[in-house]
Amino acid sequence: MRIEWEAHYLDGQTAIRHPAAVRLMREGLEVVTAGGWTRLWPYREIRQTQGSYAGEEVRLERGGELPEALVIPDPAFLESLFEAAPQVSARLPGPAGRGRRLRLTVLAGGAVIALTGAFYLWGIPALAALVAPRVPVAWEESLGRAVIDQLAPAAELCVDPRRQPALDAIVARLVAAAPPSPYRFHLLVVNRPAVNALAAPGGYIVVFRGLLERTRTPDELAGVLAHEIEHVLRRHTTRALIQHVSTGLLLAALTGDMTGPLAYGLESARVLGQLQYSRHAEEEADMEGMKLLLAARVAPDGMLAFLDELAKADQPRSVRTYLSTHPSTRDRIARLRALAAAPGPPVPLLPDQDWQDIKRLCPPAAP
Amino acid sequence: MEVQSPGSSASFFRKPLPPSAPPPSPGPSGPLALPTGGIRRRLSFHGTGGGLFAIHVVNVLFILLTLGIYYFWGKTRVRRYVFGQTGFEGDRFAYHGTARELLLGFAKAFGVFFLPIVVLTVVRDVLDVDRLIKGAAALLISLLFLMFIPVAMVGARRYRLSRISWRGIRFSFHGRALEFVKIFVAGTLLVGLTFGLYYPFFVTRRQAFMIANSYFGNERFGFDGRGRELFGPFLFNILLTLPTLGLCWFWFAARKRRLFWRHTSFGTARFASGVTGGALLGLWVVNIVLLVVTLGLASPWVRVRNIRFAFRYLDLRGPLDLERIRQQAQYASATGEGLAGFLDTGFDLG
Repeated sequence: MRIEWEAHYLDGQTAIRHPAAVRLMREGLEVVTAGGWTRLWPYREIRQTQGSYAGEEVRLERGGELPEALVIPDPAFLESLFEAAPQVSARLPGPAGRGRRLRLTVLAGGAVIALTGAFYLWGIPALAALVAPRVPVAWEESLGRAVIDQLAPAAELCVDPRRQPALDAIVARLVAAAPPSPYRFHLLVVNRPAVNALAAPGGYIVVFRGLLERTRTPDELAGVLAHEIEHVLRRHTTRALIQHVSTGLLLAALTGDMTGPLAYGLESARVLGQLQYSRHAEEEADMEGMKLLLAARVAPDGMLAFLDELAKADQPRSVRTYLSTHPSTRDRIARLRALAAAPGPPVPLLPDQDWQDIKRLCPPAAP
Repeated sequence: MEVQSPGSSASFFRKPLPPSAPPPSPGPSGPLALPTGGIRRRLSFHGTGGGLFAIHVVNVLFILLTLGIYYFWGKTRVRRYVFGQTGFEGDRFAYHGTARELLLGFAKAFGVFFLPIVVLTVVRDVLDVDRLIKGAAALLISLLFLMFIPVAMVGARRYRLSRISWRGIRFSFHGRALEFVKIFVAGTLLVGLTFGLYYPFFVTRRQAFMIANSYFGNERFGFDGRGRELFGPFLFNILLTLPTLGLCWFWFAARKRRLFWRHTSFGTARFASGVTGGALLGLWVVNIVLLVVTLGLASPWVRVRNIRFAFRYLDLRGPLDLERIRQQAQYASATGEGLAGFLDTGFDLG
């Protein structure tokens, strides 16, 4: 064990390096500077602040916020120091332990991958399912109104006091068959040729003129509406939003960067704008929508026929767009058909009204 | 040439040249030959991407396990490594910040800015109140946002400088937040009013404030740059934007850096930067490729590359009189009263 080592001393008040010699004594380190002063550093007051990386100099400090410092360039000093004084108060892991630290780091890496997978696949969806039902309905309605202002601005709505009650009646019949919910449903028809229907949180259902005009019977519309109503009742939008925010935070944790969530937040806005749901949510809306149809004693054939019609080849682009945002149509039809066992004879929707007339609720399209 | 092997103390430190002239002999006439020697001092970085990555992995693990709370501790670990691996004239820097301080800084920013913004947003969008109140809320939100950025910049700089030391001497920042808010808000408005032409002046004023209020111990940094030196290149670059598809801005950025460093001094020494637009572009392109190919995993290596790049082109020239430096530490505890004092206490968001 070597006793004397070369070092330089920093007094904590000036920026001058004082060349010094350090000797390992019994009670502490003896520091003798080139200028001739001597200091004794008791071992228990010494802390090591640098020297754990290979090739790094050893730095010892003593004092409070603005300490004195000793820098010893030869890392072998540490062995002698800890041999002479095992009780040095705070020390850093030396370069000797690098192998072990590397193994621990690799282990940590594996744990990170496992945890991330668990969070993404299970933790976040579970959280969303837990929190979504507890979100106040008033908040969902505000959110829904904001979405509607974007997607169905007042100027583009088809307002027809004569025909609207018929559509509202369909909604009312479906809602009556559903378990009681705090939502008040509003059906809005938008004057655009898109073949699409969507549900915003809080009970707003938007149907585009293109879809309305392609339905041949009210039962077909009822099928679409039932699907959308279930999106609302199961709070799919709110859940999707919570999942998005959580995934964004997970990304931030992984990259150590908060700009990720900001970008993800913008992405969330886009998703909200398009109201895209996970495949799981879509399947759920399909299943439960069919059950709702049956509970309302509406003939289920309508929904199946409508999907069949849409699944045919040679459809215009607007139809293909609608289909692309939902799971494979063939699978949907197959699954729905399996469920479509009506418990009793269906009660016709709007028996006294001319559907061909009602579905012309929108004024002739302006180009 | 960079030395890439991990663990080696790669150093860009060049030993000072011995004085070329012999010590002057006392004589009745003739000027003294001062040995300036052409000394160029550089910062050196001894850390590696691998070392940083290892820290990052452990950070992520604990952040996940603590549902995010470890974030501040992780950030502190990274900073301690980065500063501890930076050296100058044979001594390393040291970082003295703690995670608790970052946590407190975050809480401060949250209480003073985020919470009021959220409340005002609710007033503006959700509640059913008078239109006038909604308008006032909207105005306050914009104001808070506009104020937040300069306050955060000053707070962060004050905090970080006060937590860095070299040879035991702490850095510090003495600029006042309110003064910078004025510069920032006025500058932003002017940039808008002049359709961007004021930008070079704005950016120079910001740099002047940041540099000239920074201290090492009791010695202040100096900045004597003028916005008008940047104005010509700025106009030239605007014209070139379309023909070069925006690439000319790399050369502007390099020029700006060279200008700013050339006008930054410390005592009798002056900084100099040799960075070029081409070098910046090269750095940026390789970084992007690395990040894309590795899906972001290479970010610790990118960070180390950026640091090494910055150090490669920067040096400090001229006599550096370290004997005059005295410790003048500035703690982040409250130093003033009222909102200005509150804003002036250093805080960092993390």
